[in-house]
Amino acid sequence: MAGIRLERLTKRYGSKNVVDGIDLEIAEGQFTVLVGPSGCGKTTSLRMIAGLVEPTSGRIYIGDRDVTDLEPKDRNIAMVFQNYALYPHLSVRDNISFGLRARKKSKAVIDERVEYAAHLLNVRELLDRKPGELSGGQQQRVAIGRAIVRQPEVFLFDEPLSNLDAKLRVEMRTELLRLQRALGATMVYVTHDQEESMALADELVVMNAGSIQQRGRPQDVYDHPTNTFVSTFIGSPAMNLVEGEIASGVYEGRGIRIAVLDGLPGPVTLGVRPEHIHFIDDLPKEEATEPFEALVDVIEPLGARAMLSLRVGGSQPLRAVVDSRWLGGLIEGEFSEFVFDRNRLHFFR
Amino acid sequence: MMNRLRRVLIAVALLIVVFPYAWVVISSIKSQADLSDPTRLVFTPTLVNWRAVVEGGILGSAATSVVVGVVTVVIALISGTLAAYSISKLRTGGDKTRFTVLLSEMMPPAVLVIPLFFLALSAGVRDTLFAVIPAHLTFVVPVVTWFMIGFFDAVPDELEEQARVDGYGRVRAFSKVVLPQVLPGLGAAAIFAFILSWNDLFYALILAGGNTRTLPVAIAGFNTFRGVELGTMSAAILISVVPVLTASFFVQRRLIQGLSGGGVKG
Ligand SMILES: Nc1ncnc2c1ncn2[C@@H]1O[C@H](COP(=O)(O)OP(=O)(O)O)[C@@H](O)[C@H]1O
Ligand SMILES: [Mg+2]
Repeated sequence: MAGIRLERLTKRYGSKNVVDGIDLEIAEGQFTVLVGPSGCGKTTSLRMIAGLVEPTSGRIYIGDRDVTDLEPKDRNIAMVFQNYALYPHLSVRDNISFGLRARKKSKAVIDERVEYAAHLLNVRELLDRKPGELSGGQQQRVAIGRAIVRQPEVFLFDEPLSNLDAKLRVEMRTELLRLQRALGATMVYVTHDQEESMALADELVVMNAGSIQQRGRPQDVYDHPTNTFVSTFIGSPAMNLVEGEIASGVYEGRGIRIAVLDGLPGPVTLGVRPEHIHFIDDLPKEEATEPFEALVDVIEPLGARAMLSLRVGGSQPLRAVVDSRWLGGLIEGEFSEFVFDRNRLHFFR
Repeated sequence: MMNRLRRVLIAVALLIVVFPYAWVVISSIKSQADLSDPTRLVFTPTLVNWRAVVEGGILGSAATSVVVGVVTVVIALISGTLAAYSISKLRTGGDKTRFTVLLSEMMPPAVLVIPLFFLALSAGVRDTLFAVIPAHLTFVVPVVTWFMIGFFDAVPDELEEQARVDGYGRVRAFSKVVLPQVLPGLGAAAIFAFILSWNDLFYALILAGGNTRTLPVAIAGFNTFRGVELGTMSAAILISVVPVLTASFFVQRRLIQGLSGGGVKG
């Protein structure tokens, strides 16, 4: 097992830096998730770590080894692709043992590890089938099994769950986590699904347009996003953003006024998560901001909670998620008074 | 109503396809006298034509054709497959190449045959198989390449990449993982390539029309100064056509898939 270090890693296609000089330390034995919108360079980064894409510049280290110029086979990594990439002409057993046979392991070792992986992933009764005869979920397990038996220093996953249906996806997510804990393995996982990324990550790395936007524990990134991209990308429904200005200790934007203690004057974007918008009576005075009036445009009940679409000045509605118990006599099309949680405000400049 | 029309159309199509073959089969077992009246359907079958053909050395020419075909196919498969892999997976030459591969097929053979003739002459291989095989390669290799591009396109890149991560170098990943996926295509390409070579008359006639005659050249030889020897020619044509028909029948599905080849992907 080993950590990974990327130094000024860059990949250029044509005139575009698809991965733009990223520096990243990936800790040993941790589950690190690269998350970002489609096309932001996650796959390219992962494939550079794997050795399948040659970097334009920069270095890649696995443990203390500089692997930048090594073939994929010499990097001691295992990879699971989105489409599983099982060898169609080989049985499940031969698929799983492929990497061991390629490395000329003894038959005893191969049998033992295949048995272990098949047991761990619950695919023992499938060993003599061909990949074409398996369901998506089963293929997924086989692909993971093929990675496990290698006992590599690093596991790389490129959106391995995105071809599964929603229910199976959540199940496999849990299973992956259990697996990572059991093996204590270094895993790097790529996804565009922010919810999945939050659920899996020990360490979250948010990417956009070829650069790292923020990294940290998922909860820290959620609680303290450092820019508007991260703030709206992580969390669902997305954080509300209100353009405004701070002047003489008061923030003002779209008719909302908030006294701020140490706000430097100038234009600023206020960020509030939907769950931090409350009815005026639901928050103690000292925790609440100054109340503001908003038109309750749409109420969407979600069971225990409800999502409100609120109209204040400007075109973009504010989204609030409130406890259904407090909905009371709230009526669509009428005005009501709301406050923000004073301790949960974000100001982006 | 529609059904009836369909059946009639199919019957007509069948007739058009089968008629010439039936005609040739019948002609090959008619005596010279019976042949002079093409409409005569009642006659005593005879094997004279077949005997004449066999004794006239047609089988030797067929063997020559087989040798030319097999050598051509082996060379064309190796170079065409590697070229197709390179064009499909490594994007060699960009998308332009995949469509210009077949360009050489549009060139009239007459353009190439003169330089080939002089090359053969100066290399001292005129009227040998060494003159015919390179000539056949000029039109067989592009077709095999085109054919195989489509099959390589259908193999996901990840399969090869997975093999490279799992411990194979490029060559082994290609030969042990990618190649098995295109094996059915390779088989169809081999048969198709063989048929192309087997059928060629033009190059074979000009480059080796003397002692080392291929089957089509030998068949053309029945058009003698005494007139066309219809009976023997028919027997010879059957010898030439039956292997082709049989082979095409077994690979027809792959054949269609392969012929749509490099054009599938943009
Ligand atoms: N081989 C390639 N040639 C040219 N552009 C590429 C190539 N591979 C990826 N790209 C481009 O690089 C960008 C990032 O791709 P990718 O790393 O796959 O993004 P992600 O996995 O985050 O969705 C995309 O705009 C994509 O079109
Ligand atoms: Mg991707």
